[in-house]
Amino acid sequence: MRVPTLSRRAALRLMVLGASALVPRGRAVDPPLFEEVPPSASGIRWVHENAMSEERYLPETLGPGCAFLDFDNDGWMDIFFVNSGPCDFYQPKTPLKNALYRNNRDGTFTDVADQAGVARTTAFGMGVAVGDYDNDGYPDLFVTAYGRPTLYHNNGDGTFTDVTEKAGLAIGGWTTSAVWFDYDNDGLLDLFVCSFVEFSLKNNVFCGDNRLGRKYYCIPRVFKPTPSLLFHNNGDGTFTEVSRGTDVARALGKALGVVATDINNDGWMDLFVANDTVQNFLFVNRGQNRWEELGLAAEVAFSANGQARSGMGVDAADFDNDGWQDLFVANVDQEMFSLYRNNGDETFRDDAHVHGIAQATRLLSGWGLKFFDFDNDGLIDLFLANGHPDDMIEMYSTQVKYKEPLLLFRHEGERLRNISHQAGPVFEKMFPARGLAIGDYNNDGRIDVVVGNNGMAPLLLKNNAGRQNHWLGLRLQGTTCNRDAVGARITWSVGGVKRSRLKNNGGSYLSSHDPREVIGLGRATKLDWLEIRWPLPSRRVDRFTDLPLDRYVTIVEGKGIAS
Amino acid sequence: MRLRVLAVWLGGVCVLAQPDSVEATLKRAIELHQAGRLQDAIAGYEQYLSQRPSHFLALSNLGAALASLGRYEEAIRRYREALAAAPGHAGVRLNLALAYYKSAQFEPAVSELESLVAARAGDSRAVLLLADCYLRQGEYRKIIELLAPREADFSQDRAFAYLLGMAYVLDRRTELGQRFIERILGQRPSAEAELLLGSILRMGGDHPGARKHFARAVELNPALPSVHAFYGLALLETGDPEGAARQFRRELEKNPHDFDSNLNLGALLRQERKLEEARPLLEHALRVRPKSPAARYQLAALYADLGRLDEARGMLEALVADVPSFVEAHVTLARVYYRLKRKADGDRQQAIVRKLTAQKEGDTTEANRSEAPPR
Repeated sequence: MRVPTLSRRAALRLMVLGASALVPRGRAVDPPLFEEVPPSASGIRWVHENAMSEERYLPETLGPGCAFLDFDNDGWMDIFFVNSGPCDFYQPKTPLKNALYRNNRDGTFTDVADQAGVARTTAFGMGVAVGDYDNDGYPDLFVTAYGRPTLYHNNGDGTFTDVTEKAGLAIGGWTTSAVWFDYDNDGLLDLFVCSFVEFSLKNNVFCGDNRLGRKYYCIPRVFKPTPSLLFHNNGDGTFTEVSRGTDVARALGKALGVVATDINNDGWMDLFVANDTVQNFLFVNRGQNRWEELGLAAEVAFSANGQARSGMGVDAADFDNDGWQDLFVANVDQEMFSLYRNNGDETFRDDAHVHGIAQATRLLSGWGLKFFDFDNDGLIDLFLANGHPDDMIEMYSTQVKYKEPLLLFRHEGERLRNISHQAGPVFEKMFPARGLAIGDYNNDGRIDVVVGNNGMAPLLLKNNAGRQNHWLGLRLQGTTCNRDAVGARITWSVGGVKRSRLKNNGGSYLSSHDPREVIGLGRATKLDWLEIRWPLPSRRVDRFTDLPLDRYVTIVEGKGIAS
Repeated sequence: MRLRVLAVWLGGVCVLAQPDSVEATLKRAIELHQAGRLQDAIAGYEQYLSQRPSHFLALSNLGAALASLGRYEEAIRRYREALAAAPGHAGVRLNLALAYYKSAQFEPAVSELESLVAARAGDSRAVLLLADCYLRQGEYRKIIELLAPREADFSQDRAFAYLLGMAYVLDRRTELGQRFIERILGQRPSAEAELLLGSILRMGGDHPGARKHFARAVELNPALPSVHAFYGLALLETGDPEGAARQFRRELEKNPHDFDSNLNLGALLRQERKLEEARPLLEHALRVRPKSPAARYQLAALYADLGRLDEARGMLEALVADVPSFVEAHVTLARVYYRLKRKADGDRQQAIVRKLTAQKEGDTTEANRSEAPPR
């Protein structure tokens, strides 16, 4: 066969025009579904310090978390990144800083952490949970750590105050993910804090190859488990630990991820907790601070082979729109991730194989992840951020890599489908990803993603998907119920098709998300109706018709649309 | 090689009867048998036996004809009837053992062979077949006890070197196994030696190294029994389940009774929720090794997946009684109890799981104060 050759002129033209010369005339090139926004464009130049040492202390490999939040209530999502910091095994030569990037409303950000009073790290920071615990309309921050966590109260003037001691949250140990939710339906956000393992410089163990004298990050199996913590919000700026004597305290775990959701539709928010090397926990809320740990009975605790896995990231959503919250948990390589479909009777079934998730994740280790409708077609999709915890894994595995790719699964009606290879060049890159947060930073109705990378710069991904689809953004504001409206159920109809969404909180890993809900309508140009069932103690149901599209609206409990 | 060792027994099993007018039916059946017209021969033997139901020769030849057609259960019945007529007949007992072996009934095969070897210690074919049965049952120490004292009798036998070398390696006595590898290697490059070397590395936890040797063994002799199974195991252990499944399937094409291939392919299919495809494989694995905790567990878990909860419960209850420290079995039994709405029993199993897990954590913590494996 003769290979066609190009004339010199044609070759030159191709060199000048590059790949665009190959695009058929008259057809525009679609931007990638998710586009990496470089630091030069975003202004985000913060880099995570993982403090990686010869000793390979385990906390080094677990961070960082990140969050989308609107700390100054200007209607634009800002971004917070958690850094490591001083602790018994690490004293940074120069002080390390968290970052709080204020959104400049033009696609760029400015770090205002110093001015805001949240830059200084006093412990080896891990993750962040955002919630308005005092219902003053300004989001507060709870930063977890190996060492003392920090509760930053938002003063409402662009600054925060460390109120940890006063609040009664000056706990020690090693805290990872945390979530704000109202477990007792008193209208105030309470706090669940994941506790990882018993670890300290003094009690550290050697994991490595004695012959080579090389150390690597331990499997958490070698450390003792700990109970996670539930704090009741007393409504006066203080919290009381209420987990003692409950299943929450009895269940010794190695918790890394948590999501607050309502798995049995009884109006009480439950907790799904991912544990590393021990069984996952499903704390079912029976009211009156009675918790029943049902992980094994619900079949979400162990693998199908009865083995505890290395649970890290989690999330919940009604991905199949049957009215019941489904669960997701990411594990390390060879264990595969699980997508637990809710059977509606407090049991679940792992459908990860049905959706190609198990197959796609066999060689991956998953951390940050989120169910969301990235293309606004009305169906819930799934975004996964991955990376192996052991930086030396490639020395003893031929297939598993330290840096791993992102994955995007699109819901195509019946099934989720892995479309990562079509989602943009960033999905061909590899990252040591950990935390992942979602939020619409440019208010275009398409939910963007930020990923915290261990020991590296974070990754901001702009969402270009579903440009032809319509949407409605909801900022819910409780008055009787908690102000963040965590636990609200949003139901709507488009073209006679009814859908609903529960406003869960938490999910992913070490991270916190844009509190607004974006409803995707696909090509439809009208929302038939929308209903908000506010969580207890409110019993109110607000119903709306003739809502605008392609913009955000604020809905206040009992008062309708505020803006 | 193992197949070659066994195949000799299907030849020369039919014995000519003395010509006799009374025996015309039998004579004709034997002629048909020798001519390879097995169905006709079987009909002749059966006709003859309707007249002389306890005739040793007719019974043993009928057994052989049935075995040639793969009708092992019928063959076994006829061999047993023949042995009732002539209990001391070693040839028929060996054929009976072979029929059990071919139908993956290793326990009765072992029983017959052990009595044969006890009576005729020098019967090399019975010895090697018995060792092969032990290998399939995972009874490596019994192979060593059987073969090690006979080393002088089999000094030039590659099958013997392979069986004993493999038994040492799988019993984690790799230094002793090494000697037999050298014996095999000393002759010429061979799949058997590669398989043994790979097994040694695998036992030492060097799965990528083992994988290379198994791949080479497959290249050298894809017909070597269990070669694809070992390669599949190494692929599984190095994170390539699709490749492993392909190897297990190849093994089963030529060696349908391979335990590891049945078990691991069944487990992989179960993991993919191809439950009906997994079922016959796991059932067969359990037939091959009825005592194997892994096979018992996988089949019970499959029955639970299929909603056959009472069967699963019974199997798991027996399993945890036999192997009380089997955490996964307790987990799955708890699941089954919960599904059966036996909450108290489920809670009891869950408490056992917590206790065993805590014990294991403690063990691991202590062990890892010196050294821990990577994830």
